[in-house]
Amino acid sequence: MGVGTQRSDFAEFYRSSKDECLFTVLVSVGDQDTAQELVAEAFARAWASWRTVSKHPAPVAWVVRTALNANISRWRRRRREVSVSDLGTVADLYAVEGATGDSVDPRIMAALMRLPARQRQVVALRLFLDLDIGHTAETLGIAPGTVQAHLGRAIATLRGDLTPELEQENP
Amino acid sequence: MNDNELIAVVREQRNKVHMTTPVEQIINRGYAVRARRRRIPGLAGVLAVVAAAAFAVTALLPASHPASHQPGVQLAAWTVVKQADGTVSVTIRELRDPAGLQSRLRADGVPASVNFSGQRNLSCQRYTAGIALINRVFTAQSAGGFPVMVIHPSALPRGAGVEINPPAQPAIRVAIGLVYASPQCTGS
Repeated sequence: MGVGTQRSDFAEFYRSSKDECLFTVLVSVGDQDTAQELVAEAFARAWASWRTVSKHPAPVAWVVRTALNANISRWRRRRREVSVSDLGTVADLYAVEGATGDSVDPRIMAALMRLPARQRQVVALRLFLDLDIGHTAETLGIAPGTVQAHLGRAIATLRGDLTPELEQENP
Repeated sequence: MNDNELIAVVREQRNKVHMTTPVEQIINRGYAVRARRRRIPGLAGVLAVVAAAAFAVTALLPASHPASHQPGVQLAAWTVVKQADGTVSVTIRELRDPAGLQSRLRADGVPASVNFSGQRNLSCQRYTAGIALINRVFTAQSAGGFPVMVIHPSALPRGAGVEINPPAQPAIRVAIGLVYASPQCTGS
């Protein structure tokens, strides 16, 4: 495969998957600036290893995993100054008064960020990247049954958090 | 609303954020990553450390800084000055009286948690923040060899506060960061 073909393949991969990767990472890290930086770096690394990554069974999972690993490295480097909390919440980007029809619903984002980190990652990979259980388990390094358990708990929590508000809004 | 409807509503959110970095920029960065891997395998770590050092909003104080112990020199352990533009300058000379510093910051409109013991306030949850946000909220200066942190309260995201929380280390590091504001953590 020539460099030109590889480049156009990668460009198409980036175009088609960048937003879902961004949202997936955003749900994990909680801040859009950080998520943008991490995803950009992960895609750059994907291009640097494109011959390998393009053959990966789920290249988007590779990108997300790389971004999340990079985030772990950032925590360590920045020590206490910039750290992802276990019970994150939404950044100012999602302030209710700033929300428009094209913005992430701050209530949904807040509910997602209240989930424990592992449940949030499972939700992100299963619901936002549409990975199957096997790839989700492989990406997170956990058993398929654990993926299902986390997803079930996460959906139950989201239902409890969101259903009353959303039903009140759209009876 | 059943689970499928709930999942659909949650899934819709993924279409509402957009990656803005042009693909050419990604590819160029990828070439740089590849070249770096080939040429100097150890450089990545070095660059990371340099970048972290440049970005981290930290300041170092010698562990045994004698500022307030010198005869004839009676400097306050810390000074907080609210500027006309709304920013709040914090100069820390000695890690003493965290409760006083915390009260003063709160009185000056900065939701704050301060602890000098190395133990965090367990009520505080760290706020996820990118370096751009950190740099908007805090700027670091130095005055007379002491770290001066300038806090920009107007840049604090809604629901966020400030944490000053040096870990117990031989070289005392004054670390500042963002936390979620709450009555138990930041007083409001």
